[in-house]
Amino acid sequence: MVNNYIIRFLFAAFLSIILGLLYMGIGRKYIARIRRCYAGPFYQSYIDVIKLFSKKSISHNWIMDFGVMMGFAGIIATVIFLPIGPFTVFPDMKGNLIVIMYFMTIGYLGMAMGVAASGNPNATIGIARALALMVGYEIPFALAVILLVFVNKSSLLADIITTQQGSILHWNAFRYPFAFVGSLIALQGMLGEQPFDAMIAPAEIASGPMVELSGKFLGFGFLQHGAQIFLETGIIAAMFLGGGTFLGFFSKQLFLYLITLSIAAVFPRYRFEDAVKFFWIIPTSLVLVQLLIFLI
Amino acid sequence: MLLTSTKDLKDKGFEEILNFFRKKSLWMLHYCTGCGAVELPPTMTSRWDMERFGMGPMATPRQADLLLITGYLSVKSLKRVIYTYEQMQEPKWVIAFGSCPINGGIYYDSYSVINRLALYLPVDLSIEGCMPRPEAIIDGFTKLMKQIDKGEAIGYKKYKENYEWYKKNQREVLERTTPVLEQEE
Amino acid sequence: MEQKELIRYIEENFKYNKKIQKIDEKQFSITVEKDKILNILSFLKLIDFKQLALITAVDWIKENKFEVVYILFSYSHVQQILVKTFIDRDKPEIETIKTLWEVASMYERDVHEFFGIDFIGNDDKRPLILHNWKDKPPLRKDFDSLKYSNKIFGKFKKDEEND
Repeated sequence: MVNNYIIRFLFAAFLSIILGLLYMGIGRKYIARIRRCYAGPFYQSYIDVIKLFSKKSISHNWIMDFGVMMGFAGIIATVIFLPIGPFTVFPDMKGNLIVIMYFMTIGYLGMAMGVAASGNPNATIGIARALALMVGYEIPFALAVILLVFVNKSSLLADIITTQQGSILHWNAFRYPFAFVGSLIALQGMLGEQPFDAMIAPAEIASGPMVELSGKFLGFGFLQHGAQIFLETGIIAAMFLGGGTFLGFFSKQLFLYLITLSIAAVFPRYRFEDAVKFFWIIPTSLVLVQLLIFLI
Repeated sequence: MLLTSTKDLKDKGFEEILNFFRKKSLWMLHYCTGCGAVELPPTMTSRWDMERFGMGPMATPRQADLLLITGYLSVKSLKRVIYTYEQMQEPKWVIAFGSCPINGGIYYDSYSVINRLALYLPVDLSIEGCMPRPEAIIDGFTKLMKQIDKGEAIGYKKYKENYEWYKKNQREVLERTTPVLEQEE
Repeated sequence: MEQKELIRYIEENFKYNKKIQKIDEKQFSITVEKDKILNILSFLKLIDFKQLALITAVDWIKENKFEVVYILFSYSHVQQILVKTFIDRDKPEIETIKTLWEVASMYERDVHEFFGIDFIGNDDKRPLILHNWKDKPPLRKDFDSLKYSNKIFGKFKKDEEND
C-alpha cells in the first residue's frame, strides 16, 4: 500500500519535471518563431539540465544548499495535490485548492532562503521583488478561487472538475469568462513572464535570484521552473478548462502556456511596484465583476 | 580492478557523453568593453540566430560556460576579466575576438592596452578580424564545438596546471613595483 | 552677446596682458600669463561663462613649455572660450581653480596623472585612470609608448607558436 503511494508520487514528480521541461523547450521554439528565428530543438531544455548537472558548482554555506532544495521540493510537493488528468497521487485527497495555494508559497520561500544565503545583493533584490509580486497576483487568483468555491460549494479541485463535464460550454472558462481572464493574467505573474519579469531582469539585476547559482543549483532552478510551469498551468486548466483525460489535460496545459508566451514575447516589463498596482486594479476588478454578476 | 575500471569509465566514457551535452548548450558571458560587442546582437537575434546551436547570453559568470573577450583589453579591465574568469565554474572556455587580444591590433603601441591575452588567460579559440563578421563568429563557435566534442578544448585544465606561469605574467602587469622603462633588457 | 561684442568687451574690461584669437564663429581663445589665470577665469565666470567643460594640457617639448588649456562654455552667448597659459616644463606648477569650479578638482587630478603638472592647492593626487603607474606620465612627448608596450606586454613575433 505504502509502496504503491511512493510509486504514484515518483510518477507524478517525474511527469511534472519531464513535461515541464518539454513545455519549456516547445515554448522557446514558439517564441523564436514569433521573432522569426528558429531556436534549438524542442529537447534543448533537457540538454541544458544535463549540462548544468555535469558542471562544477559552488556553494556558499549549507543554508544555500538547503534553500535551493526546499524551493524545488516545495513545488514537487504541491504537484501531489494536483489532479493530473484522471490521476492523483492520493485518490482520497482530491486536490484542495486552499492547500495548493499554501504549498505554492513554500517554493518561493525556499528559494528566498537559499539565494539570500548566497550573499549577493542582486539576488536579494530579485527575491524581494518576487515575493512582492506574489502579493500582487495572489489577490485576483484567490478571488477566482473563492468564486469557484462559492459556485461549487466545495474547495476540492476534483469536484470543480466534475461539475464542468459534459460539454465544452460547461467549462468555467465560458461560464465565468471575466474570472478566467483575471486568472490568466495572474498566471502570467506566477510564471514570471513578461511583463511581470521584474524579478529576473537580466540586464538590470543580473537575473535576480539565479545570480549566484552555478552548476547543479541552477539545474535545480531549471527543474523547479519546469515543475512550476506544469503545476500552475495545471491548476488553471483544472479550474477553468475542465481537466480531462491525460492527453486532453496536457494539451490544455500547453495551450495555456503558449498563451502566456504569446503575451510575453511582445511585451516589455513593468516596474515591480507598477506590476503590483496593475494586479490589484485590472485582474482583481475583472474577477470582482464576475463575483458581482454571480451574486446578482 | 573495479575501482580502476569505474575510474576509466568516469574519465573517458562518461566525459565523452557529457561533452556532447556541453557542446550543445554553450552559455556565454560576453565581456563587452571592445568594439566586438556590436557584432554580437545580430549574431544572437533573428538574422543569424545563434540559439539554433543552443547558445545564449547569460547574465553572470556563475551561470556561463564561455567567456567572450570582445576586443581590446586595457590593464584595468584585464584585472576584472581575470576575476570574472576565476568566478566561472568548470568546464569553461575563453574566446578572444578580433585582432586586439591576439597581438594588440591597432593598439600595438598603447601604454595601457595589453597585446596578447593568451599570456594571462588560457584562450581556447581566437577569431581574427577587425571586427569579425557574424559568419566568422558562428564559424568560430562551430569549431569550438568540434574541439569540445573531441575533448581538445582543455584551456581550463591548462590554467590549473600552469597556474604559477599565468599568475607570474598577470603579476608582471598588474602588481609591478618598479618603473618599466628603466629596467634592463 | 555676439562674438565681436564679446571680444571687444573682454578687451576693454580685462586690463592685464592677453592675446585674443578668433578660431571660428562659435569659439575663440584667450592667452594670458600664468599668474593671471584665476583673474581671467573669474572674470569670464561673471559674464556668464558658467560651464567649465575641460582642463587639458599640451606638451610643447621644443619650447620646453606646457600649455594648460581651460575650456569654458556659455549657454546664453552660445560661445566657447579656450583660455590658455604657458608654464615652464621643468617646473610644472600652476594654481588650482577648484575654488571657482568644484569639478575642476577632478580634471586637475586627470591632468596631473597624464602630464605630471602640479596644481598648487589641490592635494588630491590619487591615480584616476591608470592602473599602478610607476613610469613618467604617459602623455608627455618624451615618453616612448611603443618601447614601453614592447617591454611590458611582450613583443609579438611572427613565427611565434600560438599554443
